[in-house]
Amino acid sequence: MKVWQFSEQAYHPAFEVPGPMRITLPQNHCDPVEAGRLINRYLDEYVLADELGFNIMINEHHAAATCMSTSCMTTLAILARQTRNARLLALGIPIGNRANPVRVAEEIAMADVISNGRLEVGLVKGAAYEVFMSNRQPVRFMDRFWEAHDLIKEALSNEGENFSWDGEFFNYRAISLWPRPIQQPTPPIWMTASSGSSAAQQARLGYVCATFLSGAVARSVFDAYRKAYQEAHGRPASEDRLGYLGLVSVAHDRKTAFARAEQMKAYFTTAARLDPQFRNPAGFTSVKDNVRILKAGPNAIRPRLRDGSPLPSDPTIEQYIDAGLMFVGTPDDVFGQISRFYADVGGFGNLLMMGQAGTLGHAETVENLSLFSSEVMPRLSELSVAAPDIRYEAFA
Amino acid sequence: MNSEAADALSPSGTRFLQVGDVRLEMLEKGEGRPLLLLHGMDGVEALAPLIDRLSATYRVFAPSHPGFGGSDLPRSFSTVDDLAYFYLDLLAQLDLRDVVLAGFSFGGWIAAEMLVKNNERIALSVLGAPFGIETADRKTRRVLDIFVQDGRTVEARSQVTPVPKLDLSALPEEVLERRVRNAEATMLFGWSPYMCNPKLRHRLHRVTTPTLVLWGEGDAIASLEYGRDYAALIPGAGFETIEECGHRIYVDCPDVAASSIDNFVQRAIAAAV
Repeated sequence: MKVWQFSEQAYHPAFEVPGPMRITLPQNHCDPVEAGRLINRYLDEYVLADELGFNIMINEHHAAATCMSTSCMTTLAILARQTRNARLLALGIPIGNRANPVRVAEEIAMADVISNGRLEVGLVKGAAYEVFMSNRQPVRFMDRFWEAHDLIKEALSNEGENFSWDGEFFNYRAISLWPRPIQQPTPPIWMTASSGSSAAQQARLGYVCATFLSGAVARSVFDAYRKAYQEAHGRPASEDRLGYLGLVSVAHDRKTAFARAEQMKAYFTTAARLDPQFRNPAGFTSVKDNVRILKAGPNAIRPRLRDGSPLPSDPTIEQYIDAGLMFVGTPDDVFGQISRFYADVGGFGNLLMMGQAGTLGHAETVENLSLFSSEVMPRLSELSVAAPDIRYEAFA
Repeated sequence: MNSEAADALSPSGTRFLQVGDVRLEMLEKGEGRPLLLLHGMDGVEALAPLIDRLSATYRVFAPSHPGFGGSDLPRSFSTVDDLAYFYLDLLAQLDLRDVVLAGFSFGGWIAAEMLVKNNERIALSVLGAPFGIETADRKTRRVLDIFVQDGRTVEARSQVTPVPKLDLSALPEEVLERRVRNAEATMLFGWSPYMCNPKLRHRLHRVTTPTLVLWGEGDAIASLEYGRDYAALIPGAGFETIEECGHRIYVDCPDVAASSIDNFVQRAIAAAV
């Protein structure tokens, strides 16, 4: 099991401001000196994570107090030089929102050479509301995504003559990466999925498939991936093709771990603060899925507890643990929860671990990462899909 | 009209016909001079009261634009230019002449784009609160950006008539699918630059078709000033405002809209005699 430290790098002082945390929150609530202090703190924690044996995951959002990383590659360019061993994962670059895919390829190549080939690249659809900042057309979004994907891949792997590109969405006269990436044909490519059909598509391409905070849904995502991978490649998918993202709070005693988890919970409560008209711009989701969403009403897509009921709107830490979104407690507790989840979903090889989230402070984050590294990480090689003695019907 | 299309006539007067790559859904009603009526963002459904009135004296052709309602959206369509050329093809295919062209809101924009391209078959045009010229000047908006407003606000600002409460989850799937398609097509054609073609302003001088621009005095989507500027770009265009009327002229004041259109046509006939 590879473990990847991840933080959204929130500007958490703004959590006190009433109302939305995205798109409409005025930037005058941001003290740029404080923002710089916080980003440097998060970078310090990433450097520590490298020393502790973690790999590193970075994401990006725009116009959001919940995430100050506005460019995966800018953040990773810093860590490419400041870390030594960690694999560096951008998860991900929202290429359907990017105006210039060749620029994306250039940035990937640059970070790959600076890190001496430690970069991994997630190419993602991203959240629906991001189109309000990128201003890119939501209709036919995935058509543009796949053209950008093909172009980026071509640019990263090209060993022949320079080439031109005239597609439906992008036109270039001369494409030539200086530098080109060390990892050939491309750095490892990741995508994200929350449904079996997306996972199957990624399996056929052989990409790493990650699912975020999806709880029991991860089982259907991973099963679809494994099935499609076997069909397409004639061999089973290795566990390193699958990743799951959850929050981890580990401490020597449960009380401390739960108190920290309460602070990390602010991630969930603030990420959801967004005016409704930005949640699902027309065209971003297919007509069929939109009709289904309208028929089902607003509760249809909530994660599920183990008994199959939907996670309530303001869950307790215990309910987050039950749903597989948080792993909280002593090292034994956390290992037990991860083991149970691992078996429930049929195994996976990448734990994308939010070791910092919400308002969790520096000292607590350092302890969380250190304890996980010394007490939990070494035991993860014991994980087995056959381990638990109970089958949970909710996952059937 | 081919026989297959005629067979597809439904009791409500809706039929499907093939125009180029598009299987087009079109409501045809009434007898008389041909009138092509182009709907707004809310689809042909919302035009029903106006169609009822106009069909008393006109042969009304009310299609669902490609991508809206039950009409196909070809992969190659992405701009209002595509829709304008498409409807010019439709007029040619049906061999309609001396057509009265009327379009409202988004449909008014399509009509304006037709007028600058080819007016051979179009005798007169009425544009009801059309989009199409620049909707903003850098930081200053002239037309409400419906894409950043919540749905209820957009509905409330679209008409002065109270908006009925609607439980979407209770509607049949076919109705929901039409609504979703209308919203998606509105997004495709209107997202950016928002509800306009910056070239249109520089082409409107080409309009030689006698044109009337109608505007609701209570339009809270596109202001009266926007309307006046628009009309001033069309050579010789008239500008009439309607009291107690919002952006959806066809919902708030279908009677006034129908008589304005008819009066405009009668004046043109009288002037020609």
